[in-house]
Amino acid sequence: MSSRRRAKATPTVIPAAGVAGTPSPADVAPELAAQPSRRLEIVTAAIALGASVAGFALALAIELRTETGGVDPRFWPTLLSLLAGALSVALLLIAVLRPPFDRSDLEAANRQGAIRLVVALVVAILYVVLWQLAGYLVATALFLAALLWVFGGRSWKTLIIFPVLTTAFTYVLFHTLLKVPL
Amino acid sequence: MNPIVSGLEALIDPTVLVCLLLGLVLGMLVGAFPGITATMAVALASGFTLTLEPVQGLAVLLTIYVAANFGDRVPSILVNTPGTPASIATTLDGYPMAKQGRAGLALVISALVSAIGIFASMILFAAAAIPIARLALEFGPSEMFALVLFGLTVMISISSKSMIKGVLAGVAGLALATVGRDPITGDQRFTFGINDLSSGVDFIAVIIGVFGIAELFDQLLTHHASKVRPISSLGRWWPNKAEYRQMGKPLAVGSVVGMIVGVVPAAGGDIAGLIGWDRARRVSQRPEEFGKGSIEGLTASDTASSATLGGSLTTTMALGIPGDSVMAVMIGSMIIWGIQPGPSLFTNRPDLVVSITAIMLIATILSLAISLVRMRGMVKLLDVPVHYLWATILMFCIVGTYATTNNIFTVVIMLIAGIVGLIMKRTGFPVGPLVLGLLLGPLAESNLRRALLIEGPIGLVSHPISAALIALALFAIIAPIVGRVRQKRTATAAARTEAGNALVKSSKGPHA
Repeated sequence: MSSRRRAKATPTVIPAAGVAGTPSPADVAPELAAQPSRRLEIVTAAIALGASVAGFALALAIELRTETGGVDPRFWPTLLSLLAGALSVALLLIAVLRPPFDRSDLEAANRQGAIRLVVALVVAILYVVLWQLAGYLVATALFLAALLWVFGGRSWKTLIIFPVLTTAFTYVLFHTLLKVPL
Repeated sequence: MNPIVSGLEALIDPTVLVCLLLGLVLGMLVGAFPGITATMAVALASGFTLTLEPVQGLAVLLTIYVAANFGDRVPSILVNTPGTPASIATTLDGYPMAKQGRAGLALVISALVSAIGIFASMILFAAAAIPIARLALEFGPSEMFALVLFGLTVMISISSKSMIKGVLAGVAGLALATVGRDPITGDQRFTFGINDLSSGVDFIAVIIGVFGIAELFDQLLTHHASKVRPISSLGRWWPNKAEYRQMGKPLAVGSVVGMIVGVVPAAGGDIAGLIGWDRARRVSQRPEEFGKGSIEGLTASDTASSATLGGSLTTTMALGIPGDSVMAVMIGSMIIWGIQPGPSLFTNRPDLVVSITAIMLIATILSLAISLVRMRGMVKLLDVPVHYLWATILMFCIVGTYATTNNIFTVVIMLIAGIVGLIMKRTGFPVGPLVLGLLLGPLAESNLRRALLIEGPIGLVSHPISAALIALALFAIIAPIVGRVRQKRTATAAARTEAGNALVKSSKGPHA
């Protein structure tokens, strides 16, 4: 990965209730935009429906110290899960019957990006574990070096100096100045 | 003691000055880096401001809020890429100006009008916050529930492409807020025997997850090399007399639009900028120049997006309903400091109005000064390799979250929220309503239940204020749906007419 790369702007959702006729400069270039997908819509609607049903069952199962009936602690979660269930059914119907939603405001994911994301997530989880075992300083320096390597940094300054300095800086900031026990 | 004196006295503290400077540097940096929004920065900073005194913490967070509003203009103008969503409209005329060799002029005008926009809106805050809070103090449970519902529906209507997905996200947030102890009876709900969940899902962890980590994950997933180079020829810096005169009308239009949009719950600078630009074009004598490097267009968009700050603050502090997404994070931090934004805040602590106003004004002056002096240097920031940025953000998200509770469980919640946020973003579910639902959930639930217990369902519509707010909430959901259906119908009708015309032509063609 080139070191001259720059962070690309986060694709921003132009407000749905925005101004008619106003150009939308944050839209992604057409060749990079994510494609609409009916399968994705159906899967998300089904997951939402499943979560609503689970929420409804859990809401009814809430144990109360005193049963008062009516507007009790079960009332609001039950109301919410019923509303969510109705909306999920509507979403599922729309997903099956109507053309899938436009996703042109999102950039398409690429294979390299997916690998980068999964590796970063694994490194982050390992960091949380190592933090408990080896302490903040060692874990953080290793974590930063590993991440920088995954993201394409290769020079010794990037992989050694930057992690060490950043770890030291955050330790002084959090531990020494802000009294957060790390 | 006089609140004005004690409010100002709280600022005469060297630590507050350090906090202001820290916020200034951070805000300018996050503004200038495309991909890091002010919301994300304030969410991260809230992790390490929790141990500070409230006024010191407010100095950091509010200054980031203000400074990001200046920094984000730079990449909008120089690379056509908004530094934060609030500067989307800046690209409309800022970048064309830069391409014409007038980048320096665009940067200076943008900074000047942003400062004027914030000053104007702070007058609104100083004048209106306390009266609005007094009025809201009279609100009973049904009015409070209706107000929360209104805030949530406005957020949904603004942030969603699909209303159903928006409402679902809001409901999910409200449902998430029910985890932990019941706000009225104290019964455990959805804690599954996990002790860490009995105080509820940690709000700051969710915010850092969905606004910080999720954005980062999305960039990791989709990043590709970009070849756009910043405009390097900056040209003249200061406007001449004729150009100053051109700025007058759009400045007034932008300020008014920004203040109104700012007061609307959940609506922020991105929307105000676009509306301000559009309104100024309609009243301009040279509307054809808009979008092609018009000073009027740039002035209107930047004044409007900046003038939302005071309005958003007013709604947030006086009503406890966040005026935009940055303010949602701010409310989370303030609650941890033991300050509950809302009607009773300013009646109990009028000095805080003075402190907040003073911090905002000082932050604006400092940001303006640094913008006018250091803009050339900020261009170089855009060349910082992206791997430094990603690694640092991920580390700060994790460490910042840990710092809020000193509990690794919070970090796990944050990472889960990050993954959920990414999935929501990729599938078209807005995260704003989820966060707002989580934040306002307890307020909504306890007030609805109280209202129902006192008067039954009729109480929600028998009070004029709550009836009006519920009507507005319904309007906020239904109006965009009706608008879209109408737009579709018009498009279909137009397509049919066109097809009909083509048919007529082709049938006439061979005989002609």
